[in-house]
Amino acid sequence: MTTAGGLFIIAAGLTLVFGAMRIANIAHGSFYMYGAFLVSTLVSTFGSTAFWVSLVAAPLAVAALGFAMEVLVLRRVYDKDHLTQLLATYAMFLIFADLALRFWGAQSRAVAAPAILSGSIQVGGASFPVYNLFVVVVAALVGLGLWALLRFTLLGWRIVAAVEDPEMLAAKGTNVRMLYTVVFTLGAFLAGLGGAVIAPLQSIDTGLDASIIVAAFIVVVIGGLGSVAGAALGALIVGLFEALGILWTPAWAPAFIYLAMIVVLQVRPSGIFGVAETPW
Amino acid sequence: MVEPSAKQTHANGQALREAPPSLESSLRFVEVKRYGKLARYLFWTLTVSGAALLTAYLVPPVWLLELQYVAALALFAVATNLLVGYGGMVSFGQAAYYGLGAYTIALAWLHFKAPFWPCFLLTPLVGAAAAFAVGFIALRTRHLYFALLTLAFAQLFYTIAEQQYDITNGATGIFGIGIPATLMDPQKGFLFVFAVAALALLALWKITTSPFGLTLRAIRENRVRAETLGVNVFRHELLAFVIAGAFSALAGGLFIIHDQAAYPELLDWTKSGEPIFMLVLGGMNSFLGPVLGAFVYQISHELIVQHLKDWQLVLGLVVLLIVLFMPEGIVGLFNRTMWQRWLGKHAAKSPAAQKQPHAPAA
Amino acid sequence: MLEVEEIHTYYGESHVLQGISLSVNEGEVVALLGRNGAGKTTTMRSLIGLTPPRRGRVKFFDKDITNLQTYQIARLGIAFVPSGRRVFNSLNVEQNLKLAAAAAHPLADRRWTMDSVFELFPKLAELRTRRAGFLSGGEQQMLKLGCALLANPKLLLLDEPSEGLSPAIVGQLGEWLRKLKHKGLSILLSEQNALFALRLAERGYVLEKGRVQYHAPADELLNSAQVRAYLGVKFVEAS
Ligand SMILES: Nc1ncnc2c1ncn2[C@@H]1O[C@H](COP(=O)(O)OP(=O)(O)OP(=O)(O)O)[C@@H](O)[C@H]1O
Ligand SMILES: [Mg+2]
Repeated sequence: MTTAGGLFIIAAGLTLVFGAMRIANIAHGSFYMYGAFLVSTLVSTFGSTAFWVSLVAAPLAVAALGFAMEVLVLRRVYDKDHLTQLLATYAMFLIFADLALRFWGAQSRAVAAPAILSGSIQVGGASFPVYNLFVVVVAALVGLGLWALLRFTLLGWRIVAAVEDPEMLAAKGTNVRMLYTVVFTLGAFLAGLGGAVIAPLQSIDTGLDASIIVAAFIVVVIGGLGSVAGAALGALIVGLFEALGILWTPAWAPAFIYLAMIVVLQVRPSGIFGVAETPW
Repeated sequence: MVEPSAKQTHANGQALREAPPSLESSLRFVEVKRYGKLARYLFWTLTVSGAALLTAYLVPPVWLLELQYVAALALFAVATNLLVGYGGMVSFGQAAYYGLGAYTIALAWLHFKAPFWPCFLLTPLVGAAAAFAVGFIALRTRHLYFALLTLAFAQLFYTIAEQQYDITNGATGIFGIGIPATLMDPQKGFLFVFAVAALALLALWKITTSPFGLTLRAIRENRVRAETLGVNVFRHELLAFVIAGAFSALAGGLFIIHDQAAYPELLDWTKSGEPIFMLVLGGMNSFLGPVLGAFVYQISHELIVQHLKDWQLVLGLVVLLIVLFMPEGIVGLFNRTMWQRWLGKHAAKSPAAQKQPHAPAA
Repeated sequence: MLEVEEIHTYYGESHVLQGISLSVNEGEVVALLGRNGAGKTTTMRSLIGLTPPRRGRVKFFDKDITNLQTYQIARLGIAFVPSGRRVFNSLNVEQNLKLAAAAAHPLADRRWTMDSVFELFPKLAELRTRRAGFLSGGEQQMLKLGCALLANPKLLLLDEPSEGLSPAIVGQLGEWLRKLKHKGLSILLSEQNALFALRLAERGYVLEKGRVQYHAPADELLNSAQVRAYLGVKFVEAS
């Protein structure tokens, strides 16, 4: 469940960006890593009370980075082909990776969760680490927030409409370019939030970007590109497969999520909640 | 050399929208058209082997080893370009076959102390078999799904290599693999690797200009039209995928000669990105573009890491500049009308020099 | 109000519109006729900026809008109603309408409101919370029209509204459009069903291969044997 929670937060941003903008953003993994690194820096400089602030500040900083990337780079590739777009985000991924190495070094870091969130609680005989529950709660809040956004607000409808038919959306007076900026910034925020929330659970190092982006893509593909509900389901499936794998045969566990994806795509070629035609 | 076969495949009335890029245009500085076919082959064979021999005796051994690696990577990149550039199939999992080629030799050596030569000859077959299995499943999807499925398969191989300590030595990898003593010698090793890579490239060149290669390009340009003309798109793409897998595995085998080691990173998805960078760097619209890309990529990598630790930063910036401003890669620089004008000749524009969409059709 | 001067539009390298000129005056309904592939849809897409013309000019109330972005053109008061089922399928009826209303120019006089649209199409009020993807073809046509009206446009670009509708609903559609015309809305109406269009329109343009073949008042076009012959079967059948 914890894995699923963290994965959902990051995958939700990825799927939104992909659905609305048709950009497969490899640098999304970098945003996640930056979120985690920023939390570790803030906590190590200002003490563990800074954790709560950093939970908001780190994603905001990452969102600003995403904003800059959209304005400076992505705008120039929207009218290009998909390989160009993919390479542009891959290039950003490489650049972000080396910058992270410069700022934070190659050593891995750990973040301590604040006292209230450490320890564990007993529920029906089993004991759960409090922090893991916290991750699940945050993921649920993010899910709820996104659901409300897409369901009740004009911005949300515009995002849904952009996933379906950006041309018609423009013909109905929406500045789609600006919407892209907003969506990409929101996606970066979510990636940063995912990284920030997961920070106390894992050692933070410069390989984080590459490992998380693959997992996030798998979640998104399983759920169906562009679907937030799909991302939630995909995250659950991947989390479940991983947990089962670890119980059953630890050595093979990491292979399970790839198998999950391969199997799902055999049954439903555009993901569980994906639309029939592939937009890419 | 290109034109007749182009007409051949499209004898049924439909002409290709774009003429294929030709080897000649990639090396246009040399005017070879006046010679006959045989003379032309002789000329190229002599030039290429002469260049190889000169290199082997003039270049210091350290760099010869590097050039071995470049040759392996060049083959890897051209094989990948058969998919990406010619077929419009962006595979993000080509490292699987490259790594598999290396692991084939490594595992046989580790477990059975198997001799080098049969294993080396086996690598393309292993690559082809794996690519057939993967392609059979992955090619039922397209575009991003295809890219991610190929990636998932590659990651599958990667986790097996990394986790199955008993079989593969896990993350440590396999080192000190025994290869024939002759190949350990930098000069002879280089000549061998170079010769194998050159022959493999010749084979790939033949493939891309064959009716099959042209049909593959026709599919990229207009899939629907190809289908209505009765082309079995799936089979063509699968065959291309298998060929690319075989040659990538061969490149992995060559890597063993260079490094005598196999480790999981050879299969990682970031490794799959490398040939794509190379072909974009060099230019995916020409056959030899990826070779140039591999050379520039690897040599500048070596030069840069000696002085700076920010190789990825430099690479990222270069790739960004290329995709934004130089979509035809380095080779594009030679084709530009700007140069022609500067050189003062508007003459004989080869088909490839005309504007081509640099991208696989969406 | 709308002046189109010699526009040339391309899809990639293919030269589709080869110098089209036309005009729409205030309060006028103008028909755009032509067979499949003549360039009717492309003309509309060029006007709204979805496929901007490479040459030529489009003027709207004497303002050059050729190089404006689609959303800017829409906000100036041109609503494009595409053919087929292009509504936002996963939004419900109300969300579709509200989204469209948000496009209205802030200073436009809001003659059309949610209420008046529901008055014109009572069915839509019943279907408020239904997903647009689940509507029937006729209902989607209402929704598309409703959306366009809520933007309170000065000019309506209607692309083949009768396509795929049953004869009864086509009759209904004619009624609605006549109502809109009487309210003074200007409409550029593309149709393959020439009779339907020419009954509503004052003038008509006949396109062929990206060029204007004929241009005449509606009744003249109706009576011209040449035009009848060109527009073919459908036209004869209908009359
Ligand atoms: N996206 C596109 N890419 C390339 N060519 C296109 C595209 N859309 C339309 N065309 C071509 O442009 C020409 C004009 O098409 P257009 O859709 O404007 O015709 P139309 O008059 O609206 O036809 P119909 O009555 O069938 O809707 C046709 O020859 C068509 O094949
Ligand atoms: Mg049309």
